Order: sequence, then C-alpha cells, then structure tokens
Amino acid sequence: MKRSNLSSASVSLAFAVALAVPAFAQQSLETNFRTTGDAVLAAFVPQRQVIQKSSAVIYDGRKEIAYGTVISADGYLLTKASVVEGVGKIDVRVDKESFKDAKVVMTDPRWDVALLKIEATDLTPVVFAPDSKLPRGTWVVVNGVTSRTNRRVMAGIISADAREIPAEGGAVLGVTLKETKKGLTVEEVSKDSGAEKAGMKKGDILITIAGKPLKEIAALGKLLAKMKSGTDVKVTLLRDGKQSELDVKLSARGDLFRVVSRNDMMSGDFSNRRSGFPRVIQHDVLGASITMGGPVLDLEGRAVGMNIARANRAETYAIPVEELRELAEGMVKQVAATATQ
Amino acid sequence: MRKPKSKPSSSVPIRAIRGSLFLFSLLAPIAGAFPVNEKKAPESPGDIKAIQSALLAAIPKAQTATVCIDLGDGSGSGVIVSEDGLVMTAAHVSTGVGKDVTVIMADGTKLKAETRGLDSETDAALIQIIEKLPDGKPYPFVEINKLDDTKLGDWVFSLGHSGGFDKARGAVSRIGRLVRVANTTLQTDGALIGGDSGGPLFDMEGRLIGIHSRVGAVVGVNMHVPVKVFTDNWERMLKSEFIGEGQFAEKPEKGKGFLGLATKSAEGGIEVTKVGKKSPAAKAGIKEGDLLRTLNGEKLDSREKLQSILAELAAGDKLALEITRDGKDETVKLKLGKR
Repeated sequence: MKRSNLSSASVSLAFAVALAVPAFAQQSLETNFRTTGDAVLAAFVPQRQVIQKSSAVIYDGRKEIAYGTVISADGYLLTKASVVEGVGKIDVRVDKESFKDAKVVMTDPRWDVALLKIEATDLTPVVFAPDSKLPRGTWVVVNGVTSRTNRRVMAGIISADAREIPAEGGAVLGVTLKETKKGLTVEEVSKDSGAEKAGMKKGDILITIAGKPLKEIAALGKLLAKMKSGTDVKVTLLRDGKQSELDVKLSARGDLFRVVSRNDMMSGDFSNRRSGFPRVIQHDVLGASITMGGPVLDLEGRAVGMNIARANRAETYAIPVEELRELAEGMVKQVAATATQ
Repeated sequence: MRKPKSKPSSSVPIRAIRGSLFLFSLLAPIAGAFPVNEKKAPESPGDIKAIQSALLAAIPKAQTATVCIDLGDGSGSGVIVSEDGLVMTAAHVSTGVGKDVTVIMADGTKLKAETRGLDSETDAALIQIIEKLPDGKPYPFVEINKLDDTKLGDWVFSLGHSGGFDKARGAVSRIGRLVRVANTTLQTDGALIGGDSGGPLFDMEGRLIGIHSRVGAVVGVNMHVPVKVFTDNWERMLKSEFIGEGQFAEKPEKGKGFLGLATKSAEGGIEVTKVGKKSPAAKAGIKEGDLLRTLNGEKLDSREKLQSILAELAAGDKLALEITRDGKDETVKLKLGKR
C-alpha cells in the first residue's frame, strides 16, 4: 500500500515511507466495528429511517450519479445541479419506488442546486432543523451506500466553522482571449465552461461585459474579480459583423482548469465542482462524490443541510439548512408562479 | 468479505506483551474513562449521544491548543502541551533541530518558534514557541495521556490545519476509532490530509494520545505517532538531540555546514578576506577586514583551527563569534547554512 507523508513541505519523502511502515501485529479492528462499519452504523436506526424515505437516489440510466433531498410530498427534490446537468434521462428512486424521467425544473448555479420533479403524490419530505449552528463534534448522518430497496447511512461529525467557500482561482468566463486591433478576441472556449454553454465561439469579439466596454484583458480580470462564480454576466459580442448579447454563467477557474495538487492526489473521488459556495457547513463523512445532494441529518433526524461537495480526502461541504430552506421554498414558489401565469 | 476468525480484539492491550499489572488496570478502569469504549460498538442512541457529549466537551480546548506550523514553503500542524509553549509535532514537519519556524495560533496570531529535538525514525519532534502571546497570557495547552492506556477500538478525534491555515474554517475535527495499534504507530479511520501532519490525536477526554504522521491510499488508513514515543525520548528531544537515522528527517552531516568566508592569519586571530554573497556570514553582518578572535569560546589562532571546529559542526548549528572591527569588540551569532 502506498503511504505518504502529509506535509506538503516534504514531498520528497512522500513515497519513501512505504518501506518504513512497521509490521503490525494482529491488533486490527474488524471492519465491522470501524467508524463506517455496520456494527457502529446499526446504532443510527432512527436516522436511517429518515434517509430511507427522504434521501432520493438519482440515476443516469443504471448509473447512480447523485443523491437527492425530498422537499415535498408531491415530488419535488433538490440535488447537486452540476451532476445532473446534461443528463438526458434522469431516473429517481425514493424509498423502494422508482420514478422515470425526472425533470430538472430549475437550477440555482450559485449554490449548484437543481430542483427536480417526479410524478409522485405521497413522498416524505425532510423536516428542516431550526438552524445549522452546530458546534464541532456534533453527529451528522447522511446517505451512505444504497441498493435498489435499501438506503444505508454513514455518520460523522461537524468538522469546522460555517463559512463561504470562494471560487477556486476566482470567477472566469471560460475563454482564452487575445488583444487584437478589433478588440478582445476569443482564441479558445474551454470545455464545460459557461462561455461554451452560452454559445461563445472562437473568433468572437467581446464588446462589453456587464455593460462595460472592454479592450484589455487586465481590465476584464479586474471586473471579474468582483464577481462570483455561478452568477450570470451579460456579454455583448461581435460575430461576423453582427452584434449579439449572451448571458454567460461564470465558472470557478479551479473547476475548469484543475491543477491537481498533492492533496488532490490523495483525495480519491472528489466533487468536480467544490468551490464557489456562499456558505457551507463542513463534516467528515467522506462518501464518494456521487453521494452529494442528499440530506445531512442531526441525531433528531432533521435536515441540518444538504451535501453539496466532497471537497477532498478529509472535508465534505453541505449547504446549511437556513439557506437550503430558502432555496427550496423560493424555487417551488417560483415554479408555482410560473405555472399559474 | 471473509471475517477474521480471531477473537474480537477490542480488549487487547496496546502491546502484545504486558505485565499483569496492566491487565489488572484493565479490570479496574481508571475513574473518568470513557464508558462507550468498553463496548465493541455503540449499542443505543444513548451511546451515540455519549460520544457526542464527550466531543463537545473536549474539542473547544483541544482546538485552541492546535497550531499551524508555517514552514514558509508549506505547512504542518502541531499541538501545545505546556503553558510555556512547548509544541509536539512530527519530525517530517520540523525537519531539523534549531530551525526557525512560525507557529500560527487558532486566532491567527503568528509566533516565532524554534525546533527542538526530533526522532527521525518514529516521526516525533518538539518545537518551542519563543515569542509571547500579545496579551502576555500563558499559552493554551492540552494534557498528554501519560497513562498510555488507549486500546484498540477506542473512540478518538483528530484535529489539524488540513491543507494549511484557514482562519474562517479553523482546525478541522474528525472522529474515528483506533483500528490498529503497534509500538510506534497508531492507526485510525479518521481521515487526514496534507497539512494535518504533526497535528493531534485525542482520546474522548481530550487528552493527547498521538501525533499525525502519514496516510495510506484509502481514506480509512491514517497513521499517528503514539505519545509514548515522545515521552520515552522527552529529555533527549528537549536537549535538541537529533535522534536516529530514519527517513522522517535528514540528519545534518558534520563538516557540511556553510559559513561563507575566506580568512588569513593575523595578529590575535584570523582576518576575514572575503565574505560570500548571501552567505550565513554575510547575513550575520560579518565584513571583510573583521578580526575573528574566538568561535564558540575557542580561540581562533589559525585558519586550521577554524576548519577543525567547523569540521565538527553541521548545517543548522549555532555559532557565536567574538570579533574585532575598527578596534571594537563584538559578538556575532549565526547559524551554519547548508553547503
């Protein structure tokens, strides 16, 4: 087994340690009794019942891609938006039941949350906890592995202070630009970027961004430094002599151009989008990245948040219940308003 | 998965061989021991709550004593274990003896510190904070569990400045159990990451039981140096000894220290004829024409004498030079660099 030192300052030692690991005697705790073992998790029965009913499993075909948080009896659920984006056909499983063709009704890119709708009538929505003011050491329970009929739990503790997670590397359009006589010309459009999704193309000339005329790359950098990833920015551009206007969603530089750090290398399966959240709570339940989107419960079985990013080997972020509740209520209200128009 | 046939091992003591005295102490648990540890797994919501209560009680104090060790080109963690600012950390964080490092307190206060001794084979090291807190108060510290009574299956928690210092986040806490126990290594299933190195592992009463050292490829494999390794070597480490020839720290080689000056014999000592740019000598302010009279108390009566003293010293070693410049006597202190 590879073992590595933890200090980023001693990279050279990282793999030499493999030879030095002492041979352990037979004093090893059986898997069953480890923190993620069945015998330990068996004590979380009441919370498992909530997970069973209110944590949805989201599928792309037969592949699990995320979990979801049931927020209404009539079929609304929240999940991690960047994971369901672009999936042709989303299927959902809640409790033992399967629901075909879930619709992405709305997304909130700032929080990376999508509102899904399935044809259901008697789901059990999560009960929101009054707040997420939980000190370090408070137990949280989430959806662990799942089978077709059974959700299992994983448990851990609140690990850190609630805070904003700024966009890694700041907010970017997702284009490489060149200063030419005509203006700022697009040289390259990054894959999966907001620019690509908005339809920006090589050769486009940027005229204004957020209403401001721009001629220099540095000026654009300054402007974007004040903006947040996940928000929309108005871009007017010139293509084949015609002017047009686009809404471009800003991405976090770190999500688009991943520079894999040493910590990332030891982190296994982390979320692709893991930065640029207005506020998160943090815990140490380290499920695979596909376990994001499910509710985070306290010992009372109430949702204190929703998992939004497995950040690395040791840190998982969740949207705090205060904001989650606002998102849930706001999105459903908006959908209802649109429907009655 | 096939389960091992061996007897459940949660009551096996730390070492394979133990005197009857220790077995007796197992039968008569010390007052205040954490009761859920006596069970193979939590059996009820009450047990789960008991773990939470213990964590909530222990973490705040543990957190104020957990520090970030800023090395300039990276960072690790450490924990203060005395009111006069002694810090336990990993040898691969301190990397040497007598080095200047910066300790960052939980509230972001940066303090000057100097590395003390280390054990390069087990990854243990001490650091002494040398700068006072701005309010002049004693440093916050945690108690070391000197009973060495931790055993397989015990509930534990880790703290550390994962990925570096982040004031808004604070030290990251993780829960786990002791899943493997050996003489110089504890293994837990509370996940660690770069930056946690040197950080503390606590029992449920908030007593220090280990220092984070290294990780395996999977999240559940995390290694710590048991406090016993520290207490066994305590006096030697306090005296700034570099113990062992292991791979967690590179032992400075004698005679490989770098001073960076050229000399010629002169009346009453040796005279500096040239000072290397950016050399330790230059940084200490030594100038061409200075007369070096003594080095660490020994009279410098020839260039050979200087060389013979330096041959016994290594990079990082401290020098005190008595010099004469423009007729005035001065003492210059410096540390040898790496050649």
